[in-house]
Amino acid sequence: MQFKRWVMGIRGKLIAIFVVIKVLPLLVLALVAWTMAQRLGDTVSRQAGAMADSMLETIRQMGDAATGDAIKALDDRAREGIERLTTDTARAVAVFLYDRDSDILQAAQVEPDEAAYRRFLAHRSRTVHRHGAWRLSDDQSRWESAGPEGWDEALAAEAGQALPDNAKAFSARPPEYIGVPEQRPLFVEMSFIDTSGRERVKITTGELMPRALRDVSRPENTFIKAERYWPALQKLKAGEIYVSEVIGAYVGSRVIGPYLPASAKKAGIEFKPEASAYAGTENPVGQRFRGIVRWATPVLRGGRIVGYVSLALDHDHIREFTDHLSPTDSRYTAINDAIVGNYAFMWDHRSRNISHPRDYFIVGYDPDTGQQVTPWLDQGLYEAWQASGKPSEAFLAGVTPFDGQSLKKKPATAQVKAGTVGLDCRYLNFSPQCAGWKQLTEQGGSGSFAIFFSGLDKLTTAAAIPYYTGQYGHSRRGFGFVTIGANVDDFHRAATESAKRIGQAITETDEEFQQKREALRGDIGSNLAQTAGALTFSTLVMVVLVIIVAIWMAQFITRRITSMIDGLGRFQAGDLSHRLQARSNDEMGELARSFNRMADTVQESFKRSEDGRARAEEANKLKSDFLASMSHELRTPLNGILGYSELLQVELEDPAQQEYAASIHTSGQHLLDIVNDLLDLAKIEAGRMELKPAELEISRLVADLIGAHRAHAQGKSLALTCALADDLPAQLSTDPQRLRQIINNLLNNAIKFTENGEVELKVRRVGDRLAFDVRDSGPGIPPEAWSVIFEKFRQLDQFITRDHGGTGLGLALARELAHLLGGELSVESRVGEGSTFTLTLPVAGPSTPPT
Amino acid sequence: MSDTSPPASRRVLVVDDNAINRRLAMAFVKRLGFATEEVEDGAAALDKLAASPFDVVFLDISMPGMSGEEVLARLRADPRFGGLHVIAYTAHALPEEKQRLIDAGFDDLLIKPISLKSVEIALADFMQA
Repeated sequence: MQFKRWVMGIRGKLIAIFVVIKVLPLLVLALVAWTMAQRLGDTVSRQAGAMADSMLETIRQMGDAATGDAIKALDDRAREGIERLTTDTARAVAVFLYDRDSDILQAAQVEPDEAAYRRFLAHRSRTVHRHGAWRLSDDQSRWESAGPEGWDEALAAEAGQALPDNAKAFSARPPEYIGVPEQRPLFVEMSFIDTSGRERVKITTGELMPRALRDVSRPENTFIKAERYWPALQKLKAGEIYVSEVIGAYVGSRVIGPYLPASAKKAGIEFKPEASAYAGTENPVGQRFRGIVRWATPVLRGGRIVGYVSLALDHDHIREFTDHLSPTDSRYTAINDAIVGNYAFMWDHRSRNISHPRDYFIVGYDPDTGQQVTPWLDQGLYEAWQASGKPSEAFLAGVTPFDGQSLKKKPATAQVKAGTVGLDCRYLNFSPQCAGWKQLTEQGGSGSFAIFFSGLDKLTTAAAIPYYTGQYGHSRRGFGFVTIGANVDDFHRAATESAKRIGQAITETDEEFQQKREALRGDIGSNLAQTAGALTFSTLVMVVLVIIVAIWMAQFITRRITSMIDGLGRFQAGDLSHRLQARSNDEMGELARSFNRMADTVQESFKRSEDGRARAEEANKLKSDFLASMSHELRTPLNGILGYSELLQVELEDPAQQEYAASIHTSGQHLLDIVNDLLDLAKIEAGRMELKPAELEISRLVADLIGAHRAHAQGKSLALTCALADDLPAQLSTDPQRLRQIINNLLNNAIKFTENGEVELKVRRVGDRLAFDVRDSGPGIPPEAWSVIFEKFRQLDQFITRDHGGTGLGLALARELAHLLGGELSVESRVGEGSTFTLTLPVAGPSTPPT
Repeated sequence: MSDTSPPASRRVLVVDDNAINRRLAMAFVKRLGFATEEVEDGAAALDKLAASPFDVVFLDISMPGMSGEEVLARLRADPRFGGLHVIAYTAHALPEEKQRLIDAGFDDLLIKPISLKSVEIALADFMQA
């Protein structure tokens, strides 16, 4: 309750107002400041982050661009170099082949006998390089070189010995190592065939070719029964040269890739690497493809063709052009590592493979039948072939070459299992490179493209071999084409390395930036937290201060108000001397002073009225005391006068003396009446007349009154009558004694002043009032005297006689009593006829009891 | 109180400092056949009443020394005066004064001025039937 008053009071309102006008703006201000600070922090943090991000992005882009450019530059350079290598190689092959044209033309000049032919061949040899011995590693997981094989670094020029002018980027290499050199005859066979197709002279080198002379017009007598050159020879004119395709027995493999015990087991075959095809580092001990290219030209005697000389070129010499090429920093190799994808290989004019690090990819013939071994087909083509039921050669003759080649096509797995995977580009439909090479070399040109193949991004080049002798003159491609495959990543390893380094640097920088950014964020965050803390603290302090000030001010103001209220309360409770403190000169002070002035006035008037009342009471008391005293003091001597005069009347015997005593008694009685009337009047005037209202029976009252005055009337021979109206109430509420006093007075006067006739008391009803008429047949009263008779001590002179003995107070007292009873007393009269005094009273009695 | 005794055997003591009024009362009382004696103040009245038995006392109120009311209070406080009929004999005629006397314990009031009739009424109970 106290609290509620406190809250709901001025204090609470003032505090609330203070809070609203001070604290709320403060809080809003603090909130705004906090929000702004936070936003600033966010913005700084975000922009710093964005700056860092964009810097990083820029660096990354620059790095990417640089790397990209470097890669592109390196790739371009590498591609250029490899393309160059490819074309150079192709040209070298062509030159080599053309040299063989010279050989065959020279051979045609040689006398066809063994000694001459042996001499011819003896000078025709060329170096081929063979790698050293390789063996299976101890863990059988790879093939490894049995002995040291490679460059002799000691033979490289010393960079330290370079002149200062040359020292910059002084790059030196030892002699290139491409294996152990071996001088090999160019031709494995030189023969003279007569016009009937029979070999007449034949010199062979090595073990490849049979030494026996045969009728080569019959295919079964040719090299691995696969040669079909006799019909062509017969068409040759003088000076014309026949050049065969590459012919050799196909060497297959049922393992593609490293031929190892594990892979053999996987392929479900016995581990016999020597029986499988040679494949460089993948199978360095394998069976090599051995093939020939046959040259032939007519031999003339006297302008007539007497036979044909033939030279069978050892195919290894052709392979030598590509077997040691490595499109990498090493440039050359003694043994190819096909699986890394960096190697050179060669294709004939029909796009059949004639040179490959993996010998099983070189197309060849079945030495038993002389038929071409079915090349590796894609699964679809293989299935079609199988479905056709034809020999593969016949089937393939009717097939569109290069038909929809795509990496999406799958190789025929059955052929892998069979180990017949020679590459004939025309039907190698799962290798789209084939179409690319064909496209590049068709018109004798060269070029390159990149292809994602076998998990490596490979650059592949192709260059046509510009050798157009014999059947090779039918197309601009010539002999065929050299291709080089290169792992692109190797070209730009430096660039990717630096890209990696840049990336690493970026990552590091990024992390650094991130850390710095986090640190910045942390700083901003802690700053913000500090700001928030300080803001909160200062806001709280200010809020508390404001509230304290508000409470203090409210207290200050309300203390004065409440003290004022207290003061007013004390004043109201009667402490009229209480005054408010009015020290200040403001409105509150003015209010207090105004109140004090009012209080002065009120107190003064109170004092005056109190004094007046006291004086009035004193006066009244004095008056009462005086009346009582008067009454007492008058009655005391009257007692003696009346008493002794009465006693004398009784005891005196002389009538005259009796009369004297009676006179004394009458005078005393008169005096007593005056005293009584005076006392009554005085009481009425002093307001001390007390009424004793009671229910009064009217008929009884009238009877009593008439009875009391009958003797007096009879004494004067007057008729005393009464008349009661019919509509009177039975009861009247009034003070019976005073009513009797009034009517007695009226009747007494009427009888006293009437000498003849009658006196009548009549009671009637006038509305809610009763009227008592006392009518006499006396002398009457002139109208001008009607009011006078009710005044004290006034009687009409002509009526005042000693006989009447009036006190002069009766009518005045009667009227006063009538008023006291709530009634009126009036008179009507005609001189000489009589008077009627009328008392009217309310039936219900005096409306307000007089005090 | 029984009314079998002749008035003469009844004794009325009149107490009033005013000799005229005292004698008047005695005269009236004697005339009505009562024996009477007088004293002029309250102290004497108490002595008189203690000394000899009285039936009725006419006791003035305004007296020097002990007032009539004081005398009455003493009489009423004394069990010896249990049957004593005490009448205020006084000129205090105002209604409030009369009421005050009745309240004080007076058996009757005899207001001055008195008459034979009023005394006779006051003593009616003590007169022979």
